[in-house]
Amino acid sequence: MYGWAGQRLRVDLSTGTITKEPLTYEYRRKWMGGRGFNSDVIYNEVPANLDPFDPKARVCFGVGPVSGTAAPSTGRVTVTCKSPLTGGFGDSNMGGHWGAELKYAGYDQIVVQGRAKHPVYIWIDDDKVEIRDARHLWGKFPREADQMIKEELGDEDIHIVLIGPAGENMVRFACTFNDVWRAAGRTGHGGVIGSKNLKGIAVRGSGTVKIANPKAMMDVCNRLRQAFKPDPMKIGLYEFGSLCLINVANRDGWFPWRNFQGGAHPLANNMSGETHAKTVLKHREGCFACPICCGRFTHIKEGKWAGEEFGGPEYEHAVPTGPRVGILEDANDIWHNARLTNDYGMDGIETGGVISAAMEWYEKGLITTKETGGLELEWGNAEVVDKLIPMIATRKGFGAILAEGADRASDKLGLGDKGHYYTLTTRGMTLPGDDPRGLGFGYGLSFAMGTRGGCDHLRSLCCLELSGALYPGLNTRILGDERPNKPVTTVGKPYMVYYEENQKATTDCLQVCCFTTHWCYTVLTPDQVEYLNAVTGLDFTEEEFQEIGERVYNLERAYWARQMSGAREDVVPERFTTEPMPQGVDYQTNVGVVFPLSEMLKKYYKYREYEPGTGFPGERKLKQLGLDYVAKDLAPLRSKYLSESEKKKKKYYY
Amino acid sequence: MAIMTKAQAKNFAEMDDFMLELCDFLKSKSVIDATTHRSILLKGFSRMVECLQEKKVISAREAKEAMDKGFTSLVYSLAK
Ligand code: SF4
Repeated sequence: MYGWAGQRLRVDLSTGTITKEPLTYEYRRKWMGGRGFNSDVIYNEVPANLDPFDPKARVCFGVGPVSGTAAPSTGRVTVTCKSPLTGGFGDSNMGGHWGAELKYAGYDQIVVQGRAKHPVYIWIDDDKVEIRDARHLWGKFPREADQMIKEELGDEDIHIVLIGPAGENMVRFACTFNDVWRAAGRTGHGGVIGSKNLKGIAVRGSGTVKIANPKAMMDVCNRLRQAFKPDPMKIGLYEFGSLCLINVANRDGWFPWRNFQGGAHPLANNMSGETHAKTVLKHREGCFACPICCGRFTHIKEGKWAGEEFGGPEYEHAVPTGPRVGILEDANDIWHNARLTNDYGMDGIETGGVISAAMEWYEKGLITTKETGGLELEWGNAEVVDKLIPMIATRKGFGAILAEGADRASDKLGLGDKGHYYTLTTRGMTLPGDDPRGLGFGYGLSFAMGTRGGCDHLRSLCCLELSGALYPGLNTRILGDERPNKPVTTVGKPYMVYYEENQKATTDCLQVCCFTTHWCYTVLTPDQVEYLNAVTGLDFTEEEFQEIGERVYNLERAYWARQMSGAREDVVPERFTTEPMPQGVDYQTNVGVVFPLSEMLKKYYKYREYEPGTGFPGERKLKQLGLDYVAKDLAPLRSKYLSESEKKKKKYYY
Repeated sequence: MAIMTKAQAKNFAEMDDFMLELCDFLKSKSVIDATTHRSILLKGFSRMVECLQEKKVISAREAKEAMDKGFTSLVYSLAK
């Protein structure tokens, strides 16, 4: 077999059983890998009503057919579970080198289930798999545990996935890291891993990936690597990391100032990639086989936090506990907060989301120091944020409430609809630091429609509107029109989102980094098909590639439908659709804009063939995608969703 | 080859998001079948132009113009 390793590793921590399951040709062709394999397992093995922290729940780690090869950026891993934050489908994707190592050890996927009696870690040494005691590692930061495991196993070169203290404490938005700093940030699987008493998974792989056509593979990889060199997005990412977006976000008014009360601020450049590079950048880092190297390593040189070091931050890691909570004057406070969320192992976006919601509740008088235990949650209060992050991770005091995520915290505090107005979430998950009133209406549409809740800057990644203008003719080639390359327009956006969601889903099945395709448009779908076929020796077509993404997308959407989540929940926070964008700087391009979601939804549904009333995937489409069993599952639920009793329910999470 | 009127072309040209409607129209006129309709939606505009040229509905020059200028140019070619 070429490309795939051909087997799934299943570890039951309750019984200690370790099994290896073959993945058939038909299965691999249907789901491709990574995200596809994981979504299939979660749909079939984790029922809609199961508590995500129940030992029976699964957490999956998936890699793809090109993982570990010389194609651009093939170290990615998707981590998938039923999300404890949203209660719905949840996955997240990380870089690093662990994914390639897993493939070299001979696996395409790991499924973990059950709960160990005490903290453990899994040690995979090619075909030898052990469950080992991790009691001495519990409570450690990933950077500490990583070193301890390497010393214990006597190998500095192994790669390890780890959770931090937040995961151990089942914080609902705890995340997972590999190689210490590469995070799968969203949807809270770190808490699910912690609920299983699993600290991490160490891997050593001494095998290789069999390539069907090595000459064709080297040709396409060499060609793409050369093509990356002048790519404008690649250059920005390499030079300044994803922080290269800060000044763009500020100009176009999508910079998340104070929980999106504003979209631009005169001090934004304090935290720009340019400033970071000049002041605190220690070195650049890249994931496995990556031609871009967007990773940063930060060393704070001055002030209160001088001497602190960490891997990162990304744009989405820095803005939530920076401008989103009103911190912007001293960028070292922002870098420090990013370091804290990393060390404790929490999703920076939800951490900033829940703190900024709490600050706005405090500002509006919905809560006082009585609820916060004396913490004065004023905008920009860096001292309070520094205290709160560890309190959330360890579930102490007011931190225990915030550890539930923004929407649940609002309910725990009894704040009613007013409280939820300030939780900037969709389907229970905080939106990333990108205001659709400026970033783009395509992005906004994908926030409403994302199959892992209120993300999703990575689900459809509508870069055709963000960076499409840098690639003349590109929007025409795909969409037939250059006008959609303007962010603040509805023109061409429903089709753009449909197309990019499918493209991105298959990219996540291949497990290559979304920055290396359809962000840097140097690599387009036909190039991906070319290296996929060179690796596997198969005859995938561009249609089949996109169709696999469509299948995965529909399966994930169906997971939500089983939770009774559909058309009524296809929303973005009201702030974006009702409050005109205020002016923050005089060169801002989107003053007065509101986000017109409803103008695009109907058309988007038509592309997807979602049923108009329920928003559930239509029966014809499911059958076309070979998902007859899903159609059968959804059949009795369609009328239930439309019943009066369901209509009355307010569903902020599941 | 004219497969739509000028008025229809104008109507398409004024659409904010034309892809689905134009595919449906081409199918209703039996210019494309269901498989091609699906293939176009999955692959995008370039596939639409390619298949219209293959079927000789548009010339090579019109196909090139469509790829340069976009769908407005294409729909007016379809009305010629
Ligand atoms: S672009 Fe950045 S995140 Fe993506 S693989 Fe490369 S280094 Fe990793």
